Amino acid sequence: MDINLNDLLRQFKSHPYEDHHIDAPHTGVVSFKVKEGQEVKGPSGQWLHKPGTLLYILEREKNPKRITSSFSGTVANLRTQLEGTFVHAGERLLTVQHKLNRDEIIDRILRKVLFIFRAPQRARYFFTPEAISFLEKDTDKGLSVAPGDEIIIMSLMKRDTFLPYEGPPGIIYKVYFQQGDLVEQEAPLFGLCPPGKLPFVQKVIQRIRTEWDD
Amino acid sequence: MDKKRILIANRGEIAIRIMNACDELDLDYVVVYTAQDSASLHVKKAIEEKGPEAVYRISNYKDPNEIFSVADHCGADAIHPGYGFFSENFRFARRAALRNRPLTFIGPRWEVIRDLGSKINTKRIAKQLGIPVIPGSDEPLYSEIEAEVLAEKLFFQQKEQGVDKPSILVKASAGGGGMGIEEVNHLDTFRQIYRRIQNYAKRQFGDEGVLIEQCMRDYHHLEVQLLCSQHEEIVHFSTRNCTIQSTGRQKRIEVAPGFDPKTIDYPFDAAKVLDLMVDYSIQLAKEVKYDNVGTWEWIVTRDGKPYLLEVNTRIQVENEISARISRISKHDAPVNLIREQIRSAFGEKLGFKQKHISFAGTSIELRIVAEDVKRGFAPWCGKITTFSFPEKPWVRLYSHVPQDEPYEIPTEYDPNLALAIIWGMNTEQAKERAREFISKTVIRGEDSRGKPIITNLEYLKDRLDDVLKF
Repeated sequence: MDINLNDLLRQFKSHPYEDHHIDAPHTGVVSFKVKEGQEVKGPSGQWLHKPGTLLYILEREKNPKRITSSFSGTVANLRTQLEGTFVHAGERLLTVQHKLNRDEIIDRILRKVLFIFRAPQRARYFFTPEAISFLEKDTDKGLSVAPGDEIIIMSLMKRDTFLPYEGPPGIIYKVYFQQGDLVEQEAPLFGLCPPGKLPFVQKVIQRIRTEWDD
Repeated sequence: MDKKRILIANRGEIAIRIMNACDELDLDYVVVYTAQDSASLHVKKAIEEKGPEAVYRISNYKDPNEIFSVADHCGADAIHPGYGFFSENFRFARRAALRNRPLTFIGPRWEVIRDLGSKINTKRIAKQLGIPVIPGSDEPLYSEIEAEVLAEKLFFQQKEQGVDKPSILVKASAGGGGMGIEEVNHLDTFRQIYRRIQNYAKRQFGDEGVLIEQCMRDYHHLEVQLLCSQHEEIVHFSTRNCTIQSTGRQKRIEVAPGFDPKTIDYPFDAAKVLDLMVDYSIQLAKEVKYDNVGTWEWIVTRDGKPYLLEVNTRIQVENEISARISRISKHDAPVNLIREQIRSAFGEKLGFKQKHISFAGTSIELRIVAEDVKRGFAPWCGKITTFSFPEKPWVRLYSHVPQDEPYEIPTEYDPNLALAIIWGMNTEQAKERAREFISKTVIRGEDSRGKPIITNLEYLKDRLDDVLKF
């Protein structure tokens, strides 16, 4: 795996932020609960059961939906002109500028280290029932995958297609989608680590844990 | 009729046809679309004709709250569901009728959709009336053991009847439109296929109920088009033949009328069978007090026996071929079943009787789809760069694909590109014209890897020889 870890870490240290754009998930009347520049928090608690800061309320069919922040950060580009108006689905409402923490840095760097199996089409993806039952088991073994294995179902244009895995054999190290998610073309589905590279991956993680200070 | 506003809760070509019907009736309309459909012609047409305030971007066509919230915001009086999505969802129709601000659901009343929307219930009512139905389960099966017992019985019955290659169909109970159906040719493979359909049904419809029925091998798929009003009026607009389908049982060529006994030989009295199907369909419609457009789907076996499959309580994709062969003597305008459907939903009387309807010629619908027929009709995704069709007085074309700019086919929906409705004075002329239409149609495009577009045009051309023939 040919990556320059020093360069990557330097890049992230110089700009450890990601912009998370918040769009209306559906139609409704919007009522903002934050101000421009306000610091907001993401979910917290042992099981992330405490919701983040309330960003806005979207009322549709007399049902108010409380939209809370999924990330900590600073509110930017708040479109206050939409206050009290009926918005369409997908309307951009605000941005949360989020500072990446150590685990997120590890995740971003792992995407460059692992073999990433990507979505061939914009479609909904599922693990096969056999794969999901294995992944749900609390086991240290991990799910081994070899070229040609059909562990993913792509649901495209209402048709289910079993997707043969193409890439090196290895163990699924990280899954990037939830069952039934709509995944964009070329977005990662899972990251796979060939068995021989596992020590290297662990070394990368160890180094980031040591060097990155939240 | 007062100037009413209709929310068109659908996409693509059917949304366009509903807009046209609204124009004919001088009704106002608004449309909805998803981000993926922003380049669809139905959006462009609505903006051009009604302005940007007549289009609403929603998250999903299948979210009822989106539809009702837009309906309230735009002050709609009625919702036209088109086909698919909410068109056969009785809960949606009931909610429209019973909410604080009621909306007219353009379709049958919700009780009728509930009673006939379920294939199983339809089968039960039909059986009570002595209408023939296909042997099989008359309730959804959730137990693999029960399902296997029934499968074994159906195989045994077919062997007893001397059926050459007995087989059964396993269907998702909540499915429709040909999706979620697989054939089992041997009892040994039943469990595997049953589980696959059960999983599919759970994923797609949230209900893992499965139906099993005898697979009729040598048959034609026919339909009876009815139009009913809230004043207990019932008329039919003849029959259609939808036998030419993809391997996934998706219709590809439809023809009206359902058989052509004047020019084609059938191993049975085809005219008599068509009359029988129409009579049975009207009998069932009367029984449930049907009150809008509807399609009674039948199969007819080689020995001339009709079996009722299901009732589609909505406007069908192929409705217009029935309209094209029909004339209403009291009307100047050509028949438009979507227009009649809207009138009926608003409680108007039909204004004509069966004796005023006459039929002439043959009409063929070609469903032009981006798909690879050589690979099991696999859908094709990519960008269309050229899209042009011949303009002729005998063809009407409906499409949401723009002809003046490239168009990326959304992967969320079926890759249907266009419907061509062709009319001829007789079946031969209609087929000839369909061939001419296909040969002058140009569709170009490429996928993300630069490979050229694949469509079913050649397949449609090849299959034209088979239409209406047993």
